[in-house]
Amino acid sequence: MIPFEYRTPKSLKEVQADLQQFGTDAKLVAGGTALIIMMRQRLLRPSCLVSLRSVRGLNAIAPKDGGLKIGGLVTHREVETSSLVRRHVPLLAETYRHVATIRVRTMATVGGGLAHADPNQDPAPTLIALGATVKASSAAGSRVIPIEEFFTDYYETVLKPEEIVTEIYVPKLPANSGAAFLKFLPRTADDYATVSAAAVVTLDRSKKTFADVRLALGSVGTTPIRAREAEDALRGQPVKPEALREAAEKAKSAVDPISDFRGSAAYKKEMAGVFVRRALEKALEGITARKPKPKAKSSRAAPKRRKR
Amino acid sequence: VKFSQTAVIPAAREPLWNFLMDVPKVAKSLPGVETVEQLDDTTYQGTLKVRVGPISLTLQGKIIVEERDQQSWRATLRAEAADKRAAGAVKGKTSMQLKERSPKETELVVETDVNILGKIGEFGQPIIRKKADQMLQEFVENIKKQLAA
Repeated sequence: MIPFEYRTPKSLKEVQADLQQFGTDAKLVAGGTALIIMMRQRLLRPSCLVSLRSVRGLNAIAPKDGGLKIGGLVTHREVETSSLVRRHVPLLAETYRHVATIRVRTMATVGGGLAHADPNQDPAPTLIALGATVKASSAAGSRVIPIEEFFTDYYETVLKPEEIVTEIYVPKLPANSGAAFLKFLPRTADDYATVSAAAVVTLDRSKKTFADVRLALGSVGTTPIRAREAEDALRGQPVKPEALREAAEKAKSAVDPISDFRGSAAYKKEMAGVFVRRALEKALEGITARKPKPKAKSSRAAPKRRKR
Repeated sequence: VKFSQTAVIPAAREPLWNFLMDVPKVAKSLPGVETVEQLDDTTYQGTLKVRVGPISLTLQGKIIVEERDQQSWRATLRAEAADKRAAGAVKGKTSMQLKERSPKETELVVETDVNILGKIGEFGQPIIRKKADQMLQEFVENIKKQLAA
């Protein structure tokens, strides 16, 4: 390995100062699950590593305006197991549970994963579907970025070299909403997805018409992809299988996968449609299954019927 | 990886051909090219800087002109280059064909077959095509400017 300077700032302010000093030569390292691999493969050779391990104040999960704010240094495992997350945004806990293995999840952080911007990661599609925002800060101040504008290209984001992800915010879902994330894993459980799809569906009061839909896909392009045309195909439409099928078709044209050992480009495109439809179905099930005021135990214990 | 790209350049076929056959000049229109020098009639040596996400590569290597056929408006180049720090290497073949669209418009068809070796290959595979498209677009813009000047 190539020698580099190692900094251990204790506060966000010190981090910002280090970033300002070293600029593009510095790399932030939190869990190190992505960066260290790339350094070992000599793809990256930063001259300075700024460790975030001792930085305080960025690892809390807290309710805010009915939604949740999650610190940039919260680990994947913490999101997965947090009772607050499970209560407020269960889909988020479920999505983070899908990431790699428990060893990786214990180290990898929410902010680090997003900044890494690997288009195969699981959290991004769910966060896009949930309408999350990312807070980035530097010595010059902070800004809030809608997550779907965060990813610009393969492993590239809107983050400037001196910026750090300090927090993400996940808003509360409107009434009559259901959410789902599906990860297609034909190989092993800890693999990247062949295709992943997240759907958040909001019905109108009659529960017969789509009021709003947000769809996003992972692993099928150089960034996570929001399938806007597929969403448009559903908004205002009655809840019917034909509508879901049409949305699935539209989603296929939103993706641009490549052929690799997880499947050919054509197969992945086809599966993108299939998994968007299934994610929509699952999200809808979440709405209809939920009683207006569920008695905590009885409704949760009721086994859900599996539809194939 | 094989792919084909096309671009329309607002210039007559002949001057465009002459321009494209002037390798050092053309190379300067290619984004990322830092140096080019001629070794002999058909061989050139140079450095190319490419950035893929957080990774930047400095590729050093040779370009060999294998075919230069003005009768059929076709040229083929072979390139071999390796990153200085050994993260990977690139081997590729590109053929160019000029098709006359009108007296003032020429279609440039580029067919490339490129292999990216080493770690950078595993990492960069998904983006090669897109990166190549970006480079061609910039290349064409630069050619337009140069031909207009």
